[in-house]
Amino acid sequence: MEPMNEFLIKEEQVFSGGLSCRGCGWALLVRHLSSILGEKTVYVLPASCFSIITGPYPLNELKGTIVHTMFAAAPATATGIRAVLDRQGNEDATVAVLAGDGGTFDIGIQSLSGAASRGENILYVCNNNGAYMNTGIQTSTATPYGAITTTNPGTNFKNTMPKDLMGIIAAHNIPYAATASLAFLEDYRYKIKKAKKTKGFRLLMIDGPCPPGHKTSPDQSISITRLAVETSLFPLFEVDNQKYKINYFPEKRVPVEKCMKLQGRFSHLFKNNSANVIQEIQDYTDHNWQRLNELHKQSSSN
Amino acid sequence: MNNDIHTKEILKPVSNSKQIVEKYPRHTLKIIKGNFAAAEAAKLCRVGFVPAYPITPQTSIVERLSSIVAAGELDARYVNMDSEHSVFAAAMGASLAGERVFTATSGQGLFYAHEVLHAIAHFRLPIVICNVGRPSLPWNIWSDQTDSISQRDTGWIQFYGESSQGVLDTIIQGYVISEKLDLPVMVVLDAFYQSHTSENVWVPDSDLVDEFLPPKKRNGNEIDLKNPKDYGGLVPPDHYETFNFQYWRDITKVEELTDEIGQKFGEYFGRKYSAIEAVNIGPKTKMILVALSTITSTARGVINNHPEVGLIKLRLFKPFPVKSILKAFENVPDDTIIINVERNFIGDKEGAIAHEMKHALYGKKNKMYDVYTGLGGKDVPPLTIEKIIEKGFKDPEEIIWIDFE
Amino acid sequence: MLEIRGHARGGQGMVTAFEILAKICSQSGEYHVQAFPSFGVERTGAPIQAYLRIAKGTILNRSNVYNPHLVVVFDETLIEQVQVFNGLRKNGAILINTERDSKEFADHAHKVYTVPATKISLNKGLGSKALPIVNSAMIGAIVKILNSHIESAKSIVGENVPAKRKENEEAASIAFNSVVGNDKLNEYLLNLINQSEDDLTRIELHKETEAEEKKVNLKDLPRIPFWSQPISSNKTGSWRVLTPSYTEKPAPCTTNCPAGTDVRLFVKLTSEKKFDEAFKAIYNYNPFPSTCGRVCPHFCEQNCNRIELDEGLNVGAIERFLGDRSFENKFQKSKISFDEKIAVIGAGPAGLTSALRLTQKGYNVTVFEALPYAGGMMRTGIPQFRLPQEILDKEIKQIEDQGVKIILNKKVRINELKDDFDAVVVAVGSHIGSKMNIPNEEIVIDGINFLHNFKLKGDKFKLRKGDEVAVIGGGNTAIDVARTALRIGAIPTIYYRRTRKEMPAIAHEVNEALSEGIKIEFLTAPVKLNQNGKIDLTLIKMNLGEPDESGRRKPVEVKGSEKQIQVDKIIAAIGQRSDEYVFAGQKVKAVQGRINNDFGIPVFCSGDMSWGGTVAEAIGSGNKVAEEVNAFLEDLPFSNEKSIGNIVVPSDINFNYYLPTPRTQNPVRKTKNYLNNFEEVVKGLTENEIVIESKRCLHCGDCYNCGNCFNYCPDAAIFIDDENRLRIDYDYCKGCGICANECPCSAISFQLDEAVYE
Repeated sequence: MEPMNEFLIKEEQVFSGGLSCRGCGWALLVRHLSSILGEKTVYVLPASCFSIITGPYPLNELKGTIVHTMFAAAPATATGIRAVLDRQGNEDATVAVLAGDGGTFDIGIQSLSGAASRGENILYVCNNNGAYMNTGIQTSTATPYGAITTTNPGTNFKNTMPKDLMGIIAAHNIPYAATASLAFLEDYRYKIKKAKKTKGFRLLMIDGPCPPGHKTSPDQSISITRLAVETSLFPLFEVDNQKYKINYFPEKRVPVEKCMKLQGRFSHLFKNNSANVIQEIQDYTDHNWQRLNELHKQSSSN
Repeated sequence: MNNDIHTKEILKPVSNSKQIVEKYPRHTLKIIKGNFAAAEAAKLCRVGFVPAYPITPQTSIVERLSSIVAAGELDARYVNMDSEHSVFAAAMGASLAGERVFTATSGQGLFYAHEVLHAIAHFRLPIVICNVGRPSLPWNIWSDQTDSISQRDTGWIQFYGESSQGVLDTIIQGYVISEKLDLPVMVVLDAFYQSHTSENVWVPDSDLVDEFLPPKKRNGNEIDLKNPKDYGGLVPPDHYETFNFQYWRDITKVEELTDEIGQKFGEYFGRKYSAIEAVNIGPKTKMILVALSTITSTARGVINNHPEVGLIKLRLFKPFPVKSILKAFENVPDDTIIINVERNFIGDKEGAIAHEMKHALYGKKNKMYDVYTGLGGKDVPPLTIEKIIEKGFKDPEEIIWIDFE
Repeated sequence: MLEIRGHARGGQGMVTAFEILAKICSQSGEYHVQAFPSFGVERTGAPIQAYLRIAKGTILNRSNVYNPHLVVVFDETLIEQVQVFNGLRKNGAILINTERDSKEFADHAHKVYTVPATKISLNKGLGSKALPIVNSAMIGAIVKILNSHIESAKSIVGENVPAKRKENEEAASIAFNSVVGNDKLNEYLLNLINQSEDDLTRIELHKETEAEEKKVNLKDLPRIPFWSQPISSNKTGSWRVLTPSYTEKPAPCTTNCPAGTDVRLFVKLTSEKKFDEAFKAIYNYNPFPSTCGRVCPHFCEQNCNRIELDEGLNVGAIERFLGDRSFENKFQKSKISFDEKIAVIGAGPAGLTSALRLTQKGYNVTVFEALPYAGGMMRTGIPQFRLPQEILDKEIKQIEDQGVKIILNKKVRINELKDDFDAVVVAVGSHIGSKMNIPNEEIVIDGINFLHNFKLKGDKFKLRKGDEVAVIGGGNTAIDVARTALRIGAIPTIYYRRTRKEMPAIAHEVNEALSEGIKIEFLTAPVKLNQNGKIDLTLIKMNLGEPDESGRRKPVEVKGSEKQIQVDKIIAAIGQRSDEYVFAGQKVKAVQGRINNDFGIPVFCSGDMSWGGTVAEAIGSGNKVAEEVNAFLEDLPFSNEKSIGNIVVPSDINFNYYLPTPRTQNPVRKTKNYLNNFEEVVKGLTENEIVIESKRCLHCGDCYNCGNCFNYCPDAAIFIDDENRLRIDYDYCKGCGICANECPCSAISFQLDEAVYE
């Protein structure tokens, strides 16, 4: 990566003072997102850390409109808002759902699927930090295999692979879906811009650093999320009208353990002779990466 | 209220439309089902957003509305949602954005939307919906008020309709009340006995409705892209009570406003409404039946044979119209007994009407009896009402399941 | 009933601590306890509260503690940020986690206890500097104040901590014994715990404090839950423990440069195409950039952090470019502002540098040079094909243009100068070749003499075409001698007693010699020679033994490995020493700077004769001696010591932000036949190449406005000030450290100190 040599945010759309933990992914995610979406945006928030971060009464972190809604129903609330904004002649305003992985993969998947299927003109942004962090680190279906949470403690670590939400969402035939990483800000910002321009249901999934939840050092937030890309644990790709495109090919793929080792939620795997688990994760990651490459090739050949 | 439709109308062929127009100027007489009356009302109220999800016996309301919108008779966005939870969540969003919103549901759907009902109420959104009452599992799709009554504490205003006319009129009034107080309104119909019963409905002309209920105006509470706000975020303990306090202030105005708007409605449309309706209640009344919805119609008929029996129809059920009840009891002797007819089961010894009536009449000496009947759609024929009147109540502690007598 | 209120930061374990304390206090079954947190929505690092009630009977109060008898502060930085002592009872006590003296807190409470819980916890590996987990230590301290037993408390601590049981128990125990201010039992607190049940049933009302907490403004109460106040009224800077700050750190190129040149600066200016400024940045330290750009071993490149990524920066080429470019510049003559006159003996790099510096400072300086030409070893010891004479001429002319007077052909002694001058700088260099100390050495040609006389007088020392020449040594002189011999037509072979790795010669010079066809035999030393028409030269094989004081492994002869070869000439280049003529017979230890010998005039030594051996070192020595002379004459303080600070090393660099880019090498002129070819071998780079190369600089320790800190700050707490500089807004910076970690070039420090704007 070249030095950016640029201050990417020209006009800040967040107020400092938000209640995010040190090194929080949500805070940075929203800072960049809002800087591109601008003030004429309605953010619809199901329960998630961000619904707290943005501020208790009477404070507000964002310069846009925020609507807090039920955990399960953010895309539905967004549907109502979108419909009415359009009726009022505000087609140019953005309606963006900001949800965590619990609100996306689990309790919110029905309304997500509904809104995606209906082709609602909504930008859905999922900060995937792999657990219910707002309630104190409980397992979600996005929790990675091998991770410890308060509901998968000790040797009873999460023993299934995370749900392939990108596959699920791509199967909805939506115009645009992409993954993004906070370590690759230019790619992330390019995707926000693209998603903002696209009409219809769009989804961005961002790998969300969470120092308390991942048991990491706050200053490592960006390094670890970069490693998640370099290891292909979190590959960067987009699905543009059914066409897959990998946005970043690691020069040399880093073994997954390099990324996992920096996270306390996996530390037991390195202590308790769990090389087989790490190998399974490596194999699964390799398989996913290969599959993605095939989709990428297929898409670029037709 | 004008009882013409129910008691005094004489069936005769209409030779020309002028006769009808004389009766209710600027109206058209139609024979329609309760569900269609609800849809018609939504159209007349010019709602702009209708999120929908099918559930028996409500389905024909949203079906009808989809046709109305498809036909271009109503300028609204109609959306087929993925669940009732989503229906109400979408209604919430649309209402926040400033639109007049309508939807309908029933039983499971209402239960499923329960958490959203709280949110809508506490976001202070002026939404009006119809609920066609039916109970929970084991499966049953027939008339029962347990669903709506179990949502009593969500903060919604609840009206119970007796007729298709009443449903149509109440939905129109509902928007006026709702938008005045920023509180949501639920208009409840009995399943089948109301929802699927075709009957005479005087449908007002839309320009008349427009005069009574002008298009929704923005009041600064809506989403305003030029003036961004945060809606419904975390309110810490020091402030949460504030919003409850304000809510409470407004909810205490509902009963009076219901009467006021019902009166005003009469001036515009020729049919007056109030929070409750007291029928045949006076110093000589020995017994007062208290009921909701279609049972009140049958009860009216039966008590015509019993001059000593009166009836209270609870049109407004939540907030409970305590003042109106007390007013109805002003001249009632202490030995007049009260019989609550419960078409609801809330897992308690007494039904919900008994709870509310006892709280309204606290300090009164009248004995109160509770009768369960008609649950899960069981028919409540005049004979059942008659049985209730003739029962010969002795012990108020004894709860009567009249169908098991 | 005893009421305790605790103040901590989210994540420090206070809520757990109070729960454990409740268990400790209730273990006998005698006491009722109540421990609970005040749940906030803030996150790790944010100020939080917890409460603990202990009583002998049923506790009849389930509200927050407004009027504690004991306030416990888990993090002393909170005292500045939160009203931690609010509502404390008149006779109440406070316990603070601090290493400061308890007297400093005397204003806050009747009784002050302190305990260094952070230190204790960190020593036990509990938590991190950013967030020490002090709960066990604080439990130990509270147990002490409550006069409870530490042994049973320890085991309860152990049972209730999620990890590091032993360390937590020990932390509690150490803290128990480290409480300061517990000279006698706090009977006030202990009596409260032991109040009778009757006392407990009477609830005390503290109307003022409770009412204040509950005050509601009935006017303008909001009806509908929306709002729009910016959250910036919430100053999250109070969460910060570790503080990032922009801190310029020394770069290895700069600290390695013996001349003291700010290498990082001139490279940066070059990358911005500010060539004149870049030249000035060099010239402030080095008046021979064109020369050094060609002949310096480039100490600046040796520890270049870029080596870790691909190849070090070609600083030499940049320096050479800037120097050569300056020949078109005009130099102003310096004004003389001092009366003192200074003599410099020797017109080599050290002498001329010191003369220039002193002239620039305003002294009247005269340089005396024994030879008919100035430049010292640059002139005599470096062959034309490495350093064309005209380059040196131009650089010396620049110096003269600025007012330095050079008197040639004047070999002087110090005592000749004492009447006319106020100080003398001696910089006569090391021009006399060292001996190998083997028999028949007189037939060996001195390498340094060979280079001098060949270059300036054309003396080939009878070398003929096709002569086999043995060159002894491994330094630059040996290489230069061999390459010169090659150009005369001889066939030189270099014999060096160590290996390639230990060779002091500049690596690329060695490469060029090899590529020109010169053979080098390593681990080989001469032991005997004999003139026999040709010369019989006996060589012996060496092995590397233990390191000597230079750190290099000492060569040891391999017995019986002698072999004899025949050569036509032997040239030795194994080292040089100084000519002591200048000291007029006095025995002088020529250290850098002022020497103690009495010459009737202050004497300062500089250059090769005192330390170093390269042009750059001589220049650095000249700079230093000029400072010292000036300080001496002006009676100013002077110190040779320079504190450097933490030099940026590869592990400080975040290489993710640098794209591997190959080094632009200087072109090298290759030819099949070097006979009589003294053209410069290594060429310079073009302006375009120079700019590209300078952009490869990592900017070690020097913010170059890459924007990473700004772009990655989750809290939007970095801003660009009016002067276009990056600044940290400490009102909001939570101290996550991302900026420091993602700073490519280690220009942000991240430590416990509180940063202050200058």
